[in-house]
Amino acid sequence: MAVAAQDVIWAEPPKIGFWESTYLPAILTGLGITTKHVINYKPVTLQYPEVEPDLPVHYKGIHRLNRDEKERVKCVACMMCATACPADCITIVAAAAPKDDPLWVDRDKYPASFEIDELKCIYCGMCEEACPCDAIELTHIYDVTGTTRSEMIYDKEKLLAVYDETKNHPKDPPRTHRGALSGTSEFSTLPPLGPATPVLNDDRSAKAPTPGVIRPTH
Amino acid sequence: MTLNDWIILLLAMAIPMHVILGACAYLILLERKLSAWMQDRVGPNRAGPMGLLQPLADGIKFILKEEMMPGHINKFLYVLAPGITCFTALFAFAVVPYGPTSSEPGVFPFIIAPNVDLGLLFLFAVGSLNVYGIILGGWASNNKYSALGALRASAQVVSYEIPLGMSVLGVILLAGSMNIETIMNQQIEHGFMGWNIWYQPLAALLFFTAAMAESNRLPFDLAECEQELVGGFHTEYSSMKFAMFALGEYVHITTLGFVLSCLYFGGWHFPWIATAESAYPGAWAVKVLVLLTKVFAVLVLIQLLRWTIPRFRFDQLMGLAWKVMIPLATVNVLMVMCFKQFGWDPMWMLPGSLAIFICAGVVGVQSARSGRSLAAAA
Amino acid sequence: MPTVTVNGTPVTFGENEKLNCVQAAQRAGMEIPHYCWHPELSVVASCRMCLVEVGDVKPDGSVAMQPKLFPGCQTPVKDGMVVVSNSPKVETAQKATLEYLLLNHPLDCPVCDQAGECGLQDYSYEYGRGYSRLDEPKNLKPDKDYIGEQITLFTDRCIMCTRCVRFTREFSGTGELQVINRGSKEEIDIFPGEPCDNKLSGNVVDLCPVGALCSKDFLYQQRVWWLKGKDSACAGCSNNCSIRIDQNNDTVYRVVPRPNPRLQAGGHFMCDDGRFGWKYVHSENRLTQPSGPGGVTDWTAVLTGVRETLVKGAAESPKRVAAIISPWATVEEAYLLCSYLKGLSPDIRIGLGPVRVVGEDDTYPKDPAGRPVEPVRFTIRAEKCPNRRGVEAVLQHFQGTILQGSQLVKAAGAGELDVVYVLGGDPELGYSDDDVAALSRVKTLIVEDLLASPLTRAATYVLAGGSWAEKDGTIVNHQGLAQAIRRAIRGPGDARQDGRILSELAQRRGLYHATTVRQELAGVVPALAALIVGDLGDEGIDLTGPAAPVATLQTAGSSN
Repeated sequence: MAVAAQDVIWAEPPKIGFWESTYLPAILTGLGITTKHVINYKPVTLQYPEVEPDLPVHYKGIHRLNRDEKERVKCVACMMCATACPADCITIVAAAAPKDDPLWVDRDKYPASFEIDELKCIYCGMCEEACPCDAIELTHIYDVTGTTRSEMIYDKEKLLAVYDETKNHPKDPPRTHRGALSGTSEFSTLPPLGPATPVLNDDRSAKAPTPGVIRPTH
Repeated sequence: MTLNDWIILLLAMAIPMHVILGACAYLILLERKLSAWMQDRVGPNRAGPMGLLQPLADGIKFILKEEMMPGHINKFLYVLAPGITCFTALFAFAVVPYGPTSSEPGVFPFIIAPNVDLGLLFLFAVGSLNVYGIILGGWASNNKYSALGALRASAQVVSYEIPLGMSVLGVILLAGSMNIETIMNQQIEHGFMGWNIWYQPLAALLFFTAAMAESNRLPFDLAECEQELVGGFHTEYSSMKFAMFALGEYVHITTLGFVLSCLYFGGWHFPWIATAESAYPGAWAVKVLVLLTKVFAVLVLIQLLRWTIPRFRFDQLMGLAWKVMIPLATVNVLMVMCFKQFGWDPMWMLPGSLAIFICAGVVGVQSARSGRSLAAAA
Repeated sequence: MPTVTVNGTPVTFGENEKLNCVQAAQRAGMEIPHYCWHPELSVVASCRMCLVEVGDVKPDGSVAMQPKLFPGCQTPVKDGMVVVSNSPKVETAQKATLEYLLLNHPLDCPVCDQAGECGLQDYSYEYGRGYSRLDEPKNLKPDKDYIGEQITLFTDRCIMCTRCVRFTREFSGTGELQVINRGSKEEIDIFPGEPCDNKLSGNVVDLCPVGALCSKDFLYQQRVWWLKGKDSACAGCSNNCSIRIDQNNDTVYRVVPRPNPRLQAGGHFMCDDGRFGWKYVHSENRLTQPSGPGGVTDWTAVLTGVRETLVKGAAESPKRVAAIISPWATVEEAYLLCSYLKGLSPDIRIGLGPVRVVGEDDTYPKDPAGRPVEPVRFTIRAEKCPNRRGVEAVLQHFQGTILQGSQLVKAAGAGELDVVYVLGGDPELGYSDDDVAALSRVKTLIVEDLLASPLTRAATYVLAGGSWAEKDGTIVNHQGLAQAIRRAIRGPGDARQDGRILSELAQRRGLYHATTVRQELAGVVPALAALIVGDLGDEGIDLTGPAAPVATLQTAGSSN
């Protein structure tokens, strides 16, 4: 596409004075700055293995799979996390929940296997955001190692174990429902808010706040 | 030659070689520390007290590291390249004095090859062979990035060889010799005011800049420019072969530091403590120390410059060589020739150099303006 | 021409055409949301999603709108009618209807297989209110996995559109599904002990606009947004129903019918044989590499060996060289092999492979006792091969007559043949043990097939071919409709699509490109001249009709 002449803005290079054209003063100023830092340096480095960093609450370390109030895996294998994952590191095999087991009678689908390749993961937290039932969360644990690649592929048991390990840690409360465990879909505990979409003025429902909906901002 | 001569010769060779190799390792540590401080970091501090054993750890690591050799390369040239880089850098040191030199038999010469009349020529000849290793390495890696890095290095060295040689030409003309010892001793005979820096300040600046470009130091390290070329010519090199490239580069700048000190800053001379007359016991040690201090100062300056000036663009690099430094060096040589021909007092060289420099600045301003008016007309 | 105005856009329709408001809007490129209406089923107007405002243009030019809303699916359009589906009144009704439909819906989209292609999700997003005012607990209804062998019912997701009930009553005629109870206790169910297991039962899964009826075969296998669809045609019988192959990472997960007005029932339906009969594509038994004498498994070496054998045989005694082309081969493959062999020597005989016929044509609807009922709306063909007509057309051209493969097998048994090239593709072999014994008597037996079988074990050269989901080509159905099948997945291991194998065997220039070969053969084989267009489109080309393709019709009722 050709650019029209009136769209072109000619940028003027800054005017060069005598001293600038000799380079030297700029170099000397720069040398001054670097030298000042050498003489008077203030490192913020943390001596890591001896001093542990104070991580913010929203730090994104390795994942965990939360349990619900019946100690089952909270994940319903909807695969939203695997869909959202930009690194394609989540592999879920879904299965129908064992309906004969009274423990699982209220669940349709569950993850038969849930694997996260912690080496592929870029710890962006998209899985946590995508999860519709708050089952996957990133913890504050950052110092994980393994001697083989397969060791770093966390399966369901390992991820649940991470949950058991971190659920009482002050840095890692279950992030939703104010830290309380809950079912996979629970709307009644949310504060009453207005509707999410604009509604007609004569829509009676818009005037009556109901739980779980967001009031328009106007 | 007597046995004694042989021992002295061997010592004169062995001591600097080993000291330089060890010093280079610690120069790298120093550079890492300095870089860290400049960036408000701590730097290596784990190996030994204050990280002082870091070079040792680096060395052990380099030797023990897995040797990666790509499967698609010319093996002979690939292995030869770091060897050439390292060898030429060390070989060039043969004609560089590292103390109060002497060519009398039975006296420690403080130079590996004393009394080489073509000293400077030899130095530049061998020193510029250094780039041969880089080109070979880049080409033999069979990697486009390496090849590009090598090409840049060759273009750069060809360009900066000229101002490097031209800037030294003034000193050679003044001394009437290409023997580095002669040049150094002539300065020392005239005392502090005999240092060539007072007659050839512009040449010293040009030499320093060109030397940095020669040895591929920042801001002139376009051959290994990470953002564009991964690692440049040494992308495919690992373990000790990579270390040898780094070593070659450091030996090269050390050599140039010595040359700069000897050619422009009076070598081992310093007023009162190390002059031609000082003959107190241990005077040789003081003289060596003075020279080493000067070299050290040059090296620290180079390291400071590394974090002061960002890397040039390639056209800027070429522009600096061909449009600024070569004309300036030529004018400088012309000036020295005039002084020699007409027998003018050399003390006017300092203002002369300054005048040339100021003229260059004015020309720079004018050309920038006219360039802009040309752009506006277009 | 009668004209109706839909949301201000005039739509013309034929004098004798019967359109409802939904179809008229579709013709104008607009959507009137609907759940219960389906072009192939009767109209019940029970979901109330398609409520529209209807009016008439009076002689004086003014428009008189009816005061109440009408269900669009039940309201036929007539000349001069005005249909409005975007007025505030209609939008409010749509919002209310959706809210009502969702009252007892469990909103378990995360675990629902329909999520991503769900009518409730799409319409809620497009027309819905976005929130619910229900404060009471939702009705919980039990899941019914006994509904059928292939289908399962999540009762609580159901919106009672009764599409499935009408399908089994009207289309398959078997009538297994029904509505039990009334009011808020309404549920879909079966008579106890009589599950919905007819041969068309899979269609109710497609018909279900929500996630209530799910296929057990596909249940929880993949999320639908991961599936990449490729339009193709089913190879299960000579109907060649238009389908879409849904695959992800070279694994086929399901096959769904694709509307095609040139096929029976508008292409909205397909039988379970085709819907679930493609599993051999991922069979353990698939040939994954070619093989030749001396344990050669390299394509170049094997193809060179085959070529040398054929060239030598054709030069020495062409009468003793023969080929058998299965009716599972595409037209392109048959053409490539015929033109190659006939180019070597016109005396090489080429026969048509075994045409598998299983039982008789199975027609629907049936009565509850299983007897066929007229008029027939859907037929499952007994001829279980996709392309007999296409291969026959090619053979007819190259040989003048259609030689039956069985004759060649007999000739092989009598020791009259040295080299036989068997081009297979049928997942079931189609050759009896005697046939295999007869064929193994020839000096060099070349078999190009899908699955390991006694025939491939007897063969000198085995060429690992591609299944129907792995190849590009053309197949011609029983009524002469040529449709394109498209390569949806890569074959297992080193298996290649047959067109490529034959193209490389014949040392043709460039890569195998089905369209190019199709156009080439259209110029050579007069019976297939209509294929000259190259791109057969979504609906295919009728070879019995005029050569030029009919302009693509607006597909009425694309909803499933």
